[in-house]
Amino acid sequence: MLGHALRRLLWSLPALIGISIVTFLFLSYVPDPSEDPVLAAQISPAALTRLRRARFLELPRFLNLAPRDVRERAGELARVIISGGPGEGEARIELARLGGAALPHVLPQLDTLAPEHRRALALALAPIARRMGIAGPEVDDPARAVAFWTRFWDDRGIEFRRAVVRSAASRLVRYGSATRATDLIELDTFVLDDVMAALEPPLDAAGVTRARALIDVAAHVTGSADRVAPGADLEAARACVDRWQAYWSVYRADFTADTGVARVADMVLETRYGKWAYEAVTHRFGRSAGGAPVLDELEVRVPVTLAIVFGAIALAYAVAVPLGALGAAFRGTRVDVALMLAALALYATPTAVIAVMARGAAGGGRILPAILALTPALVAAPAVQQRAALSLTLSQDYVRAATARGASRARAVLVHGLRNALVPVATLATLEGPMALGGAFVVERVFGLRGVGELTMLAVQQRDIAWLMAISMSAALIAAAFVLAADLAYVAVDPRLGGAILGRKGRP
Amino acid sequence: MIHAIIAWRCLGNSRRAVLGVVLLGFLALAGVFAEILASPAPIVAVGPRGVALLPGVMRPAVYEGKSRVEVERLHAGEGALWPVCRYGPTTPGDVGPNAPRGPGHPLGTDAEGRDLFARLVWGARTALGLSLGAVLLGAVLGVALGGLAGYERGFWNDRLVRLVETVDTFPAIIVVALVRAIEREPSARSLVIAVAFVRWAEVARLVRAEVLRSGAEEYVMAARALGVSPFRVFGRHILPNAIGPAIVSSVFGVASVVLLEAAVSFLRMGGESRSASWGETLAEGARDPSRLRLIVLPGLLLLATVGGTYLIAAALRDATDPRAVRGR
Repeated sequence: MLGHALRRLLWSLPALIGISIVTFLFLSYVPDPSEDPVLAAQISPAALTRLRRARFLELPRFLNLAPRDVRERAGELARVIISGGPGEGEARIELARLGGAALPHVLPQLDTLAPEHRRALALALAPIARRMGIAGPEVDDPARAVAFWTRFWDDRGIEFRRAVVRSAASRLVRYGSATRATDLIELDTFVLDDVMAALEPPLDAAGVTRARALIDVAAHVTGSADRVAPGADLEAARACVDRWQAYWSVYRADFTADTGVARVADMVLETRYGKWAYEAVTHRFGRSAGGAPVLDELEVRVPVTLAIVFGAIALAYAVAVPLGALGAAFRGTRVDVALMLAALALYATPTAVIAVMARGAAGGGRILPAILALTPALVAAPAVQQRAALSLTLSQDYVRAATARGASRARAVLVHGLRNALVPVATLATLEGPMALGGAFVVERVFGLRGVGELTMLAVQQRDIAWLMAISMSAALIAAAFVLAADLAYVAVDPRLGGAILGRKGRP
Repeated sequence: MIHAIIAWRCLGNSRRAVLGVVLLGFLALAGVFAEILASPAPIVAVGPRGVALLPGVMRPAVYEGKSRVEVERLHAGEGALWPVCRYGPTTPGDVGPNAPRGPGHPLGTDAEGRDLFARLVWGARTALGLSLGAVLLGAVLGVALGGLAGYERGFWNDRLVRLVETVDTFPAIIVVALVRAIEREPSARSLVIAVAFVRWAEVARLVRAEVLRSGAEEYVMAARALGVSPFRVFGRHILPNAIGPAIVSSVFGVASVVLLEAAVSFLRMGGESRSASWGETLAEGARDPSRLRLIVLPGLLLLATVGGTYLIAAALRDATDPRAVRGR
């Protein structure tokens, strides 16, 4: 039985991934806020491009057959600058932004170019040299710029190695000094990959110092003003690290060159789904529109909603099982009709009406009246099922035999009937949860409880993909758990079903 | 087809079924003839330009957003037969919000000044039309996929069963939320698709079980041996047995879809919808509990719809179930 449960749980993993892919495909057709023409008219095209890039809208959905890393970007920019056509100015700015990470792909090619092309390209690199702090007057001199960069690559080219940078970054983290920071800054954006890998959310004052040193380097080479202020507390430092990590997940491909396996991984990771999945795994399911990580919000809100749903279901079954048993025992009499009519009336009265009445009586903001308001809608289905199942059981021979041997009617119903009639009711219990969720959202709204429903409504309005993804994934997960629980409940209630259910996956 | 006749007779004798049909029939009539009950346009207008029958249906753009006085001016000098209530579900009333009942407004107005009677009548069309559409679409999908799953053995059968299980336990309200998120303006069509997407699983499960069961029966084997095509075997020999439970499940489905629609419009998922809905009126009532009308009236209508559907479904279940004890 345990093995069966484990196997089923393992099987639900690919199912979850499948659901996430389908849901993501579906949600990728959500009109993004940045597609709003009003917004497009308000901000500049460059800002709009940046916004779209930050939301990964430039990337393909699931498969990026040609991921662009720094080598390709730098090569393209170099070609544009050499040809001197339209867009040359933007290409210069862009190349300066790529910075040191582009140098290993641009400088070795300088020799292969025609002299005037070589000059144009070398001059375009001047801002990088200034940022690195190694610039003399020669970088802007058309006659000497090429010589400067050739010499630079001869002298310093050996430092543009991953291993060198990695140890430099770890030294900076461990000992932290101005000269070590300068060492890194002299390699410009080439160090970003390792700096970001070393950057982790600080846990104490020492962590804040480490993060500050790393972020200072990153902010310098990217020209950003987002640093950890000297007197910043832990909270502010963590927020800053968070922002930098978000920045890195958007712009990583601009500063790193991928080869071999990493390139194949990029085909999947440099996509909208890949970015979401990576964020989901590493950063608590990304950020919701409210700003907090989705998982934190879920942790606060899911218990409220689950308490309402499960509380109402438990209460409803506590009422429904005796009600159904009573109905079956008095089958065909006035009592039966009255009971079933009462159950039907409870089922058909909209939850909203009951909830509004209950709020009027008990006031909002508390969970118990909310559970009570949701319960009536859930009583009817199990009561009817219980009655039908029990009346079928009561016509069986073993019940007749029990009565013939002198068992009282109550004993016949309770001891011989009820347990056998519980299986169909247990089936129903698995379907009850998802159905009750809609009602739970209504109840949450009426009582002003901060559950999942509130944020889901907000997410629908604001097209918040991160939250919608998370909520549908957790719904699927809970649903899978429910199906499994129902199967196990069958076996517990009726051992005869054990073989049929546990051996279902192709086992004898 | 003897079984069908027995079931039909059984249904006719059932008091529950008759009560359900009467309840639901009234609401269905109200929904179908909503234009005659509550509309800004006249039912028939006889004027110099000839006879116009239901101009509100033929040329809805003419009456859109017009107040009662403007419509009257439009038909000045014509003989016109007006509806019971001369306001549509979106026509702004003349007496302001939350007006009590009075001439012209049989039930008063709602929190936004629209005629409550018109809102409720058109809400019947939304609720019933939407749930019937969704349930029918779900049933067609369910029969097709369930039949396929029953025939197809092996790997795909197993996957389909898992899919049915997953979809069946996936909360409908979240599917609706996902659909509402991808459209710019909430529409009834998207709701139909979303609900059908969840509903098909149950029907598919029932049909698949029947295909599996009857696949071993002599009459199916005989039909196969005679060289009947699989489609015909499914349509003539298997489906008639499966259709009873599928219909019962679908009728029960109507009740749950009506409640789901009310919940969705109560929550105003994805913004204001243009069509009238009972759930929306309930939401207005929930915001201001002193307006008891806005809660009680749509609540009663929902009670009648769901109750009626449930009664019919229960009677149908007893009538079509050959194992049930007859005559009680």
